[in-house]
Amino acid sequence: MTRHLILEDGTVFAGEGFGSPATTFGEIIFDTAMVGYQETITNPIYDGQMIVFAMPVVGADGIHAEAYESIAPKVRGVIVHDLAEVSTNRQRRMNLDRFLKQHNVPGICQVDTRQLIRHLRETGPQKATIVDVVDDHAFDQLNATVLTNKQVQNTATPKAYANPGHGFHIIVIDFGLKHGILRILGEYDANVTVLPYSTTVDEVLTLDPDGIILSTGPGNPEDLPESVLTLIRVLQTKAPLLGVGLGHELFALANGASLQALPAEYHGMNHPIQEIISQQIFYARQGRGYVVDWHSLNANKLFATHRDLVDDSIQGLRHRDFPAFSVQFFPDGAPGPLEASVIITDFFETVADYVQESN
Amino acid sequence: MYKNPTKTNAKKILLIGGGETDFGLQGETDVAIYQVIPLLKKMGYQPYVLDDNPYALSLESTVAETVIAPLTVTAVQSLIQKEGIEAVLPVFGGRRAVRLWGQVLSDWQDERNGFQPETLGLPVQTVQDVRDGRALMERLALAELPILEAEAASSSAEANQFLRDYGLPLVIRAHHPKVGNTQRIVDRLDDFDQAIEQVRAQSLTNDVLISRAINGMKEVSLLVARDQRGNTLQIGASEDMDPIGIHSSDSLSVAPVLTVADRVLEEMRSQAFLAAEVLGVQGFLHVQFAFDEKTDALYIIKVAPYLDLVASRLALVTGYPAMLVGVQLALGLPITAVTLPQSYHQKLAMMEPVMDHIAVKLPIFSFGDLAAAGVTVNRQLGSIQKSVGSALGFGRTFIEALEKAIRAAHFNNRSFSPEFMDRLTDDELIQQLIHPQDNRVLLLIEALRRGYEVDELSELTDIDEFYFYQLQRLIAIQQKIEAAPGNQQMLQIGKESGLSDGLIARFWQRDFQTIRAQGQLADILPTYKALEPTAGEFPEHAHQYYATFESENESSQLGQQSVLIVGAGAFRMGDGAAAGYVLTVALAELRRLNYQTIVLNNSAADASLLPHLSDKQYLEPLETSDVMAVVDQEAPQAILVPGNRRKLIDALQKLGQTVFVLPKEKHQPDGPDSNQSEFNLSFFYDGQRTYPLALTQHRQGELRLLKNTIPADFLADLQPQQPGFYQIIWRRPVFAWQKQVPMPDLSTDAWLRPMPYGHLAYLSKVLGLPLVRYLIRALVGQLSPADQEQLLAAQTMPQKPLAMVAGRSDFALHLQPDQVIDATRFEMGPRLVAFEQED
Repeated sequence: MTRHLILEDGTVFAGEGFGSPATTFGEIIFDTAMVGYQETITNPIYDGQMIVFAMPVVGADGIHAEAYESIAPKVRGVIVHDLAEVSTNRQRRMNLDRFLKQHNVPGICQVDTRQLIRHLRETGPQKATIVDVVDDHAFDQLNATVLTNKQVQNTATPKAYANPGHGFHIIVIDFGLKHGILRILGEYDANVTVLPYSTTVDEVLTLDPDGIILSTGPGNPEDLPESVLTLIRVLQTKAPLLGVGLGHELFALANGASLQALPAEYHGMNHPIQEIISQQIFYARQGRGYVVDWHSLNANKLFATHRDLVDDSIQGLRHRDFPAFSVQFFPDGAPGPLEASVIITDFFETVADYVQESN
Repeated sequence: MYKNPTKTNAKKILLIGGGETDFGLQGETDVAIYQVIPLLKKMGYQPYVLDDNPYALSLESTVAETVIAPLTVTAVQSLIQKEGIEAVLPVFGGRRAVRLWGQVLSDWQDERNGFQPETLGLPVQTVQDVRDGRALMERLALAELPILEAEAASSSAEANQFLRDYGLPLVIRAHHPKVGNTQRIVDRLDDFDQAIEQVRAQSLTNDVLISRAINGMKEVSLLVARDQRGNTLQIGASEDMDPIGIHSSDSLSVAPVLTVADRVLEEMRSQAFLAAEVLGVQGFLHVQFAFDEKTDALYIIKVAPYLDLVASRLALVTGYPAMLVGVQLALGLPITAVTLPQSYHQKLAMMEPVMDHIAVKLPIFSFGDLAAAGVTVNRQLGSIQKSVGSALGFGRTFIEALEKAIRAAHFNNRSFSPEFMDRLTDDELIQQLIHPQDNRVLLLIEALRRGYEVDELSELTDIDEFYFYQLQRLIAIQQKIEAAPGNQQMLQIGKESGLSDGLIARFWQRDFQTIRAQGQLADILPTYKALEPTAGEFPEHAHQYYATFESENESSQLGQQSVLIVGAGAFRMGDGAAAGYVLTVALAELRRLNYQTIVLNNSAADASLLPHLSDKQYLEPLETSDVMAVVDQEAPQAILVPGNRRKLIDALQKLGQTVFVLPKEKHQPDGPDSNQSEFNLSFFYDGQRTYPLALTQHRQGELRLLKNTIPADFLADLQPQQPGFYQIIWRRPVFAWQKQVPMPDLSTDAWLRPMPYGHLAYLSKVLGLPLVRYLIRALVGQLSPADQEQLLAAQTMPQKPLAMVAGRSDFALHLQPDQVIDATRFEMGPRLVAFEQED
């Protein structure tokens, strides 16, 4: 049935509803990656957001067991031009439409997504809603909606759990962890314990970690309590630490840097990322609404290791005194290029050194 | 701009051309060379071009030193010595040029040949390995990349051993192949010995490579680029609808890849990057993969460290300036230092292109044209290429892109008509599903119509279910449209699905003008979207557009002074390649005369679509409704149309448009029989007077200049309808090459025809006159007295003693015709060959 996408600035797009028929509200952003719709939709960093896919045909590869980045999508809406109904599930005829219905996520297709993206690249993210009828009520509802800033609370695990392995003991502090990180740690046979972000220094250190990862996650890092930054300040002195995505932003904040909100968020995988020391470039999945401000780096504490050559944003940081570093992009791919996984290799080398030295 | 230090110190750089067009060679090499030589010149180099293709635009370039000579070791060597060439860039000439350069390098002796020029773009070892496909693959295997194990066999006994070890099906291909990349897939024991013999004959060393067949797997191509520092990026990827077992050129291909999971594509990407590293590529590399969805097995089945059709197509459909980037990488620039013309985003070279449109490539088969000439060929598709060209369709859905590709391919073939499909029995249908022919897509639709289930069909054909679901949607749409004549919503849906006014008119049994009028009245108008490589992330400096039916139109009228050039469309047999040449020169001349130029075309390997040659390009089918829509959008001052498009010309003239016609016959011109000669008296008509140019003798397979001087008054009474190049034709039962022939009696045994585009390209080169430019000047009323003088003196100018000789296409191998195909008539591409001209 015909549904409508309404933006906060009054722009309206008509399209055909799919997925859940509910009315939905969220912050609308766009993604230019051409692959990995299922991974993107299930990535917890999109908690509270609505995604517009630039890729015009979405759903052609069905829904796969290997392509979940979380058990249930946290995204508030999916906007595509052409929805393909293909099922690859042997048990149930599960396609993208049914998948979103099952998880109560509304979608809208047959939208001029190129026009929408060209619009959003100018306005930046804004509130949006998918409704059946465009009327004053719909606009009032949209204007009255206050989007949550509790996305991390919504999506991160409230309880610790283990993902056992035979290798190094890695603590993952969960701010909205995507499965890709667990998958890549699994490739190293790491013995993983995932802790909620409200964990304490004591709880972490009691587990005697060989390394610590600050996970990816949704939302504005400055909405998180100061206790998180205190935790990072202590942990970075105790064991090798890697921050990813939101974890990178928190690592920067914990070390005195400040963040800037991007005028238009960047979600894609086609920007060249340069490793500053070697000048080599590679590509990685990015999903960011904030960047670390170059001018705010305290030269005694942090230095930049990577930058995006298109918008010159900081993509990697390293602490001068501790084996602690962080990247803005996603080194686990899923979806996205695998070449960025060298970050994980670096991390495990650092962990191995630490383990050798401390034994 | 262009001041970055490059690694090479060479000044004089030779680009080896790609030679004649053939199966799998659609002139993309010439288009690429023509595009990069101005850049080389700007960067301070002196480019040289060597080629023998009469349709080569680069041979008429004013920025390069050009040499028309056969593509042989001797010719390359002597050019290098004579001109003091310091570096050679073979990759833009494709596989043929790289192999030739490899031969030159192996023959090279410093004491005899002097200092060996630097090789740009590839390490010498890789150049050598391109000559021996197995060597390339073995290097990949050493890097632990997954390839199919292949063993060489030089006797039937050895081949039979392999057969016993592995069983059927097997792939047999030539070791050290003479020409193309021919391979046979054998799945019947009866065919085995014959296949071994056939392929052995293709090998320089008389042996074959045998490996296990991987029929039924998914075929995916990636195009990656690498710089001398080892930075790599992915330019694009496409998937074939048809599985391995059907030659990739004969498959429907889609970009971007739709039905392969991210984790598999990322693995392919990593492997392609590693392959580029292993081969030391500085430029781009096309890697072809086979993927088995059931077992997740992945194989690299081909690497092409040189320009090929897939590379040129992916460059076009992504909007990424791959050739301009590739040449700078070959010169040793890192990707971060590559500069692009101002019409591109500054950082674009480093950004991996992303697409927000779908591009479908359909192969074009010549079976219909051949049948019309009484030649029957084997229509069954397999591992040997049968298509002679391809057409592209762009859209925002797969169906829209598919429908537009079908229209761009201009099928007029009997086997595409619905009645033909109705007559197929179920058995025949199943047989054709298993052994596909050129009408593959329509057959799949017919099978769905008859109620076969998607999973059955997918199992039977190894085609991904996605495509069947899409075709089901298409059937449903067409049925709905048929059931509701005149319905506005149905018209909207039809247009969104890529159907032309003409097709909807046929469904509704109305005139196409009625449909067009209804669409205009209801505001169902195309919205043009920019074809650009950032998927809308950045403000675009767009020049290329395609039509779709959505809400935002990004194209606005270029200006009041524009001329629209309607391209020749898909590459096909006959003088298809020449049409690209003629239209491109026409375009360049209009531009020189300060017209704003707009091109409408859809072939990936057509120079007329080069971004620097025109102000705006529309990548669209060329049916009347598509042309009309662009005319409505741009309101051009005049429209330039090839003369074979009579219906279109009529329609445009009826609407009061100014139409410039480039005279061309509607059908493939007839040729002489095997025991006779055809004589062609070529002349130019500027609208007022005629200018005799030259007399040529045409025997099957070859065309030569004669020494006749045509009396000035001989043509005085001839007045063709419009300005253009024409020929008086007569045939005589003589076979020997003549020096001069008596003039015919115009009233009895000769006839008049527009000059075939191929002859126009040939005469331009041998007479050294810019013939197409004169025509354009005449059409716009700017033919100067100096031009007229030159034309009048055409017969007294020194002529280059070059014959136009039919290409060496192996029709027997590709098409298995029931009779010899006259390669001058059904040409795939001729070449220029020097002949002894007697005085």
